[in-house]
Amino acid sequence: MKVHLFSLCLCLATFTHAAPQDDQYKLGPDSEVQPGVPQGKVTQMPAWTESKIFPGTTRDWWIYVPAQYNKEKPAAVMVFCDGAGFVKPDGQFRAPVVFDNLIAKGEMPVTIGIFIQPGSFPNKDAKIKARSNRSFEYDSLGDLYARFLIEEILPAVAKDYNLSNNPDERGICGNSSGGICAFTVAWERPDAFRKVISHIGSFTNIRGGHVYPALIRKADKKPLKVFLQDGKNDLDNQFGNWPLANQDMAAALKFAGYDYQFVLGEGTHNGKHGAAMLPDTLRWLWKK
Amino acid sequence: MNPRLLLATLALPFFASAQDTALHEYISDDQPWKEAASGYAFTDGLCTDAAGNLFFTDVKAGKGIYKIDAATGKTDLFLDNLPGISGLQIGPDGRFYACHNKEQRIIAITMKGDVEVLLTGVKCNDLVVSKKGHLYFTETPTQSIHLITADKKHIVADTGHIVKPNGITISTDEATLVASEHGGKNVWAWRIEEDGTLTAGAPYMTMWLPVGKETASGDGATTESKGRYFVTTELGIQIFDPTGRLSGIIAKPVADGKVVSVEFAGKDHDLLFVAAGDKIFSRKMKVTGYFR
Repeated sequence: MKVHLFSLCLCLATFTHAAPQDDQYKLGPDSEVQPGVPQGKVTQMPAWTESKIFPGTTRDWWIYVPAQYNKEKPAAVMVFCDGAGFVKPDGQFRAPVVFDNLIAKGEMPVTIGIFIQPGSFPNKDAKIKARSNRSFEYDSLGDLYARFLIEEILPAVAKDYNLSNNPDERGICGNSSGGICAFTVAWERPDAFRKVISHIGSFTNIRGGHVYPALIRKADKKPLKVFLQDGKNDLDNQFGNWPLANQDMAAALKFAGYDYQFVLGEGTHNGKHGAAMLPDTLRWLWKK
Repeated sequence: MNPRLLLATLALPFFASAQDTALHEYISDDQPWKEAASGYAFTDGLCTDAAGNLFFTDVKAGKGIYKIDAATGKTDLFLDNLPGISGLQIGPDGRFYACHNKEQRIIAITMKGDVEVLLTGVKCNDLVVSKKGHLYFTETPTQSIHLITADKKHIVADTGHIVKPNGITISTDEATLVASEHGGKNVWAWRIEEDGTLTAGAPYMTMWLPVGKETASGDGATTESKGRYFVTTELGIQIFDPTGRLSGIIAKPVADGKVVSVEFAGKDHDLLFVAAGDKIFSRKMKVTGYFR
């Protein structure tokens, strides 16, 4: 079940065949385990099956707790959409390794990572493939996913860990539909999340996300810090054109005076560029 | 196997089959709508059989069940004396199952016309029958989805959530039931449990709305063999992929007309038929239907 869910989600997000344009992006030393650097602990949590916001779904999730965590001091929080792909120690992003290295150098705060998969509807008949709820959860505008994190997941983590309630110390990261999801969570609930990383974000019309540039331009500025990455060879399909949509997002954020950064590379709909940059991205994101 | 390779292998068939497919992968510009039958008042209830014959009704003025022959293209009255059917499908036992809207009842009909009454006193609109023999129908005015199980138990499977449920269909693995809102903008999906009951209902798909309107007028629905859902709406036939994403809208045959029912038929099950008021139209597709 796990491999299956994993593959389903990744195929939608970042794990399509890497094109030559993507292979130029390689992980650096901050994405490798370094001798002498204290290693945090990744724990797989029991599958989340009792969601009231997304009834009937189940999802896998993991928590990363840095070695430097001290329960007397509130830890910063970072949520990863499609978390399975980010949490894997030998995966594309290796976020826990990056966290270890950056936290040890004082380049980001002591941060608890929450790596969470999109929901799916399993069937009692094991032969039937679970139906993915990923697009519904990630591509939809509105506050449902933000509420899921704020009302369900964060309180569950806070039972065991001292999490910061300062929204400036809470971030969310995702790729593709997970990227727009990360933005939507902060856009809807800047009282809870203010730091956003979107790689190859789907700011296209899958479920209406193409309106964000227009909204950003006209709405009262929100206290967000937003990192966007895309590649010139990203998707162009019936939902929209990813590089144009991300450039439109960046232009709107600039127009409205946001604290943002936009990197447009050469890549396709693949996480490699975002993964290679993740240490730099996190340094920028957490810089005061 | 290298886990990465394994993932790619698992992911690709799904990707190739039903994701990211643009409209031109379903239809050809040089295959426009063609009139298949005309001279009726209000056609509806499209369904097909293994040979690809199309069956339909004329809810307002018809006599019974009509058939467009897959081999000849000719239309005949197939079963007489059954006026007022709004939803129709052939079940796993080879009988028609029908929403006999005019008589407010659900019936089964043999190919010879012998009728068995399954349920009375319901304002039934459209139905789908699973391979296990569970029958689901929409009752539009009561916002309800009803279930008649294979052993003929009647259960109200969902009520009070979906706004004016109308069209209804099933996923290719028969694990998900799908129904369109005539009075809203969503197409709902439920998990079908082993006993046929529905759980985990959610507004899984969002229809495109006509400018200035808050309702999509979702109507008849069917399933394409790779799992996409085709739903008739005011704007045309809206196509959703299995993850619930709107991926295309096929224009109606008559721009200012209605389409209320949709089904694949024809000997290769690649003709998309729609009920459009007094006429039935068909259009050759690059994809095929699930029901056969």
